[in-house]
Amino acid sequence: MLKKFGGLTVAVLATLALAGCGGNSQTAAVSTSTQRGTLAVNPPLRVASLSASAFAADLDTTTSGQQLLQLAGTPACGVDFYYLKYWTVAPDGKPTEVSGALMVPTGAGSQCSGARPIVLYAHGTTTASTYNIADISDTGNAANSESAMIAAVFAAQGYIVVAPNYEGYDISNLGYHPYVDGAVNADDMIDALAAARAALPHTFTPGTTDSGQLYVTGYSEGGYVAMATVKAMQAAGDTVTASAPSSGPYALEAFGDAIFFGQVDIGSTVFAPFVTTSYQNAYGNVYQQTSDVYSSTYATGIDTLLPTATPLATLFQSGKLPEAALFDSTTPVTGNTQLDQLLAEPTSPPYTPEQAALFDAGFGSPGLVTNAFRAAYAADALTNPDQATMTLLNGGTLTASDVALAASPGIGLRQDFKVNDMRNGGWAPKEPMLMCGGDQDPTVFFMNTEIMAAEWSPLVSGGLVSVLDLNGTPGGPFAPLQSAFQSTYAAMVSAVGASTAIQSYHATEAPFCMVAARDFFAQVP
Amino acid sequence: MQYKIATLALGTALALAATTGAHAGNATPNDIRIGGYFVHFDSSATDFTGPYTVPGLNASINNATTLYLGYVRTLSRHFAVELAFGWPPVTHAVARGPAAVGSVPYNGQKIASVRWLSPTALLEYNFFSPDAHWRPFVGVGVNYTYFYDRRITPAGEAVVGGPTSVSMPSSVGPAVTAGFTYRFNQRWHMVASYSVAQVNSRLTTDTAGVFRTSSVHFWPNAVVLSVGYSFGF
Repeated sequence: MLKKFGGLTVAVLATLALAGCGGNSQTAAVSTSTQRGTLAVNPPLRVASLSASAFAADLDTTTSGQQLLQLAGTPACGVDFYYLKYWTVAPDGKPTEVSGALMVPTGAGSQCSGARPIVLYAHGTTTASTYNIADISDTGNAANSESAMIAAVFAAQGYIVVAPNYEGYDISNLGYHPYVDGAVNADDMIDALAAARAALPHTFTPGTTDSGQLYVTGYSEGGYVAMATVKAMQAAGDTVTASAPSSGPYALEAFGDAIFFGQVDIGSTVFAPFVTTSYQNAYGNVYQQTSDVYSSTYATGIDTLLPTATPLATLFQSGKLPEAALFDSTTPVTGNTQLDQLLAEPTSPPYTPEQAALFDAGFGSPGLVTNAFRAAYAADALTNPDQATMTLLNGGTLTASDVALAASPGIGLRQDFKVNDMRNGGWAPKEPMLMCGGDQDPTVFFMNTEIMAAEWSPLVSGGLVSVLDLNGTPGGPFAPLQSAFQSTYAAMVSAVGASTAIQSYHATEAPFCMVAARDFFAQVP
Repeated sequence: MQYKIATLALGTALALAATTGAHAGNATPNDIRIGGYFVHFDSSATDFTGPYTVPGLNASINNATTLYLGYVRTLSRHFAVELAFGWPPVTHAVARGPAAVGSVPYNGQKIASVRWLSPTALLEYNFFSPDAHWRPFVGVGVNYTYFYDRRITPAGEAVVGGPTSVSMPSSVGPAVTAGFTYRFNQRWHMVASYSVAQVNSRLTTDTAGVFRTSSVHFWPNAVVLSVGYSFGF
């Protein structure tokens, strides 16, 4: 029997051979190199492809989308959203895989194909470890609204957009985020750009290419990252056509000192653990143990708390973080009159009632940061002063001659702020830069922008560096945006009251600053 | 489990057939058959799941027509074993679901193709006398389906977001058949049959490391029309 079926087996095998094996289709190639800037998976996944009309229709389904459409304009191009995986370097110098977005304009419009400028965008602070700015298709992702914003403002108007998710987010297994670590953040941006450039010829629209024009922008934390990127690219000899860092904490040391002197900003209880974890990992000089900085209520596990998959509201409700109380309402008393005045809860005067109310919200019991650490930091800030903070505290006007960094800060955290402060390094932008923000920003104080403007005052008067205060008297090329922002915010105040509206001031500015950035870039071909 | 049950059933039937005697002096116990294999898929599939996958994406399998090749060995007066397979046809998966994913057309698009080698071993019981012109038969057996040349179409790539590999594990499942033979003479005959097999697989796509899956039940039911030639060796 077996012998007889042997002939049949041969026949079956012959049929298989005759049928031919044309082969199975193959997926994208995974790079074996972990060199920084290497595109890890090529071609990258296209997450979504939206025509101009489909994108407009999607935006039109929500109130915020309608506002964005009105501000950014009707999409002229469709947008393809790609998910980039690429290699960058961790603070310890080791290769680390991260992710981000590549948005490519599509469609028949003349500005939607061919050689297109690139916008390199840095996103703002998020606690969501799953943040993925490429995932426009998931409205539940924390990045969704920011993804839509930059797609509407830039990609749908003909810019190729590159945006990293940052180390510590999405696929990154770093375990923390190198928050406001300028050199590391800049490397991530530069590596995202390199990966995106490598991916462009392999997209669904390989005819859409890099024109060579590079615009760098970002908002909030991303404003800082954008500026750090300009600094790093200039140092490397790479050209940035123009940049528009917005509402960023550029002057970290001065900003930090102001906060420790009681000017507590909205969001500080989130920013604090991000900063200390980042700098402790990078420099190891912030604390011996977390309880050196943080009160016993919060110290345990705070170094691994952020970013997290747990919603921020849950962190607050479960007592992992206080919602606003950065400092203890029973303020430290050192016996040094000047220092104790600076450590006391802010009052009006000297602050306006609104400022005092805002700052006072940052005090409670127990505060996140111990009185001992706050007092030590403030004492150092008084002994080794940041000139800009002192100038502002004394009611002075910032000029190039009074915004110097502290000569020799004694506290580790202040040393780290100084290292990463954008005044550090004796540099200035070589190509046009717009710094957009709002002078009532309660989250990232406008002092950051004012200090950089003072530092670079010859460039400001020379026109290379521009400052846009969305809350300023409307005038100049951005007057319509200023008016639009101010009327939008006034409407918010009318609707929900000033004390609630102020909570959203910082976020409300974002699309206005991005449209300002786009208008600015259009002037710098 | 299905494989084990089917194998057990076939084994039992073969044993039963063997006890009913040899092929009773049949001088031409071997048939080879060639004909048409008209395969209709009553397929059903679960919606694709995985990252970056919108809800409601499904697919159906297009019908296929191909060449039927069969070998039948008569075991006894009533029992025979058939080994049947079709020339591996290109079969298309057609998108079912929303009209578009984002702005990429979906519903009705041919999104993937696959070829399959699907031999079936059947133990058949033939009614009436071996000398009769008309002989109805019924059969039960095992189908093995191997999928290859698994390809995603450009339309499929556009939906899933890039170059994609498709995996589909082989399937083993029971098969049943019923039909009749019309014998012209000792050598030549024609056969018409209707067969159903259980063919299940799990379709997994890998696009840039993003995996999406759908469980597919093919339920092929095939009409076979063939001519056969009997011979001895």
